[in-house]
Amino acid sequence: MSNFRYKVGPLAKCVFQNHSTRSNIWSTLMQYRFYPRPTSFPDYFQNPIFRKEDQAKLIESNELKKLAALPVKPPAAYETSSVYHDPLVSKLINHVMKMGNKKLARNLVEKAFENIKRIQIERYHLATTPEEKAKVILNPKDILHKAVENSKPLLQLLPIKRGGITYQVPGPITEKRSLFLAIKWLLEATNDKERTIHFPEQFAWELLDAANNTGKVVKRKQDIHRQCEANRAYAHYRWQ
Amino acid sequence: MLSRNLRFLSRRYSQAVTFRTTETSPSKQNENQIGLFYTVNNDVCKQLFGHGGLPKSYMKQTKTFTETSLMVRLPALDIINCIKATDFDKPVIRYMLYGEIGAGKSLTLAHLLHYAYEDGYLIVHVPWVSEWLRRVPRHKEMSNSQTHEGLVDLPLDGAAWLLHFKMQNQVLLKKGNLKISKEYVWSKREKTPEGAPLSELIEHGITRVKYACDVIDALISEIKILSNSKQCKTFVAIDGFNTFFYPLTRLSTPTKKKVTPEEVTLTKSFMEITKNDWVNGVIILTADQLGVSQDHQESHLPKYLLYKKGFEHIDPFVPVEVGRYSEREFMSCASYYRDRLWLRGPPETESELKLASACNPYKFMELCAPL
Repeated sequence: MSNFRYKVGPLAKCVFQNHSTRSNIWSTLMQYRFYPRPTSFPDYFQNPIFRKEDQAKLIESNELKKLAALPVKPPAAYETSSVYHDPLVSKLINHVMKMGNKKLARNLVEKAFENIKRIQIERYHLATTPEEKAKVILNPKDILHKAVENSKPLLQLLPIKRGGITYQVPGPITEKRSLFLAIKWLLEATNDKERTIHFPEQFAWELLDAANNTGKVVKRKQDIHRQCEANRAYAHYRWQ
Repeated sequence: MLSRNLRFLSRRYSQAVTFRTTETSPSKQNENQIGLFYTVNNDVCKQLFGHGGLPKSYMKQTKTFTETSLMVRLPALDIINCIKATDFDKPVIRYMLYGEIGAGKSLTLAHLLHYAYEDGYLIVHVPWVSEWLRRVPRHKEMSNSQTHEGLVDLPLDGAAWLLHFKMQNQVLLKKGNLKISKEYVWSKREKTPEGAPLSELIEHGITRVKYACDVIDALISEIKILSNSKQCKTFVAIDGFNTFFYPLTRLSTPTKKKVTPEEVTLTKSFMEITKNDWVNGVIILTADQLGVSQDHQESHLPKYLLYKKGFEHIDPFVPVEVGRYSEREFMSCASYYRDRLWLRGPPETESELKLASACNPYKFMELCAPL
């Protein structure tokens, strides 16, 4: 039964979207947060707002009364209002996780952050002048943000078949896919490690390299960009 | 060096820095400095803890923070005051440090070792008993003891411990006042004569690894005689004492028979020195849950960890509990971590971390690691 609803879901969303041009109520009420797994909540359930800042904003703009009347999904177990909650870190931990072993995934990512911190503190103490010291980033989450930003591709190659030949055509890329590719490449680079080196150590090195715009992942992104540039001539195949 | 002095001077006059103290001598520390960090000199650190003594996780922190600082806490100060007030003509008093995992027992022991070193005690320090009885690499060198029938020797561990002893007591041994009272014959051609300095006995044990455990036996009896005759005051510190009484070790003879701690000669030596039949000394022991296997780690209390034999052996003793951080100690530790660039973020994090770690020192350190 739920399978059927899952298959009908996206179709229903398209139907609703066509009608939404007339009535705005539907577009505000429908949540388009797409879970890759079938959830038990219907589409009109609102996404939870669990951060204190977001709640404060709602109270200021008087939106809270409207939302309080609607049904709301519960937040996931890792979505907290703690000071140290970071959505990128949660997403990363989910990508690292295998077979639902979140405990191990979180442990590995935390150890990787610890390694990053130790390396950076050592570099800070080795730097002699205050300018050099200011350049060293000590917060591991900042390093992660910078690394992911540096390894996000801006274009992707789409295989398009024309006259029996499949051309690699450069095309746009959504934010979500770009972020997914960045995290995937970082993890792939880390898993290409020596047998005796542990995951957190290698991951720390990869993140530091990517934040510094060097290393395997940034090279891979630059390769994609170069190929896109080379295949510029085929770009019009997207519209033929 | 100059910039470091300037930094210290400017800190003295800055109101924000309330987690450090400049009093680096444990004998001069008092209740005003509870919760404050003092830095141990690097040379002293290498001498005292070169072959163990500080927990591994703490050693990693010393490397990241580029200094070794210990927090002055109440249990350590209590024991130091007791030691200062003891009558050294009466039999030795045994203190037992106990507490939950990560409370700070090993570091309190390190603080007391620093005090003993400064006060000129002869230090007998076993860094971690489980290292001998439970850490078994692929092939552990054991030999059947020649002097004690049916007992097992650990020659390499014995030699390593003698090296540790020598390094800790360099200063006292160099003075050369400590002489042994009787002759020890090791074999037809080797003997240590009466009246030779203690360092000669130790050298023999280090070079001739075969006789290391017998040398330790001899050394222990000599130390007792020297203390009784008031030639030196002794400070015995054993971390993980309850491992000596756990029914099993991880060792096994070549015939695959499991060895109990009583069948190891090292156990015998350290049982000897923890008896209270000698004077002019102090004995400090630790009962640690981590020293035994996971199945028998239900409680952190000494009566459970020491089993009947252990309890009867060290009865009467003074139990000292090492507890979690108090409010002040916690804030001081958090400010120290911020200063050393280990922790960052808005001040609300401290209240969150206090709840998440329940003020347990080790848990707090672990939680700050990824932040």
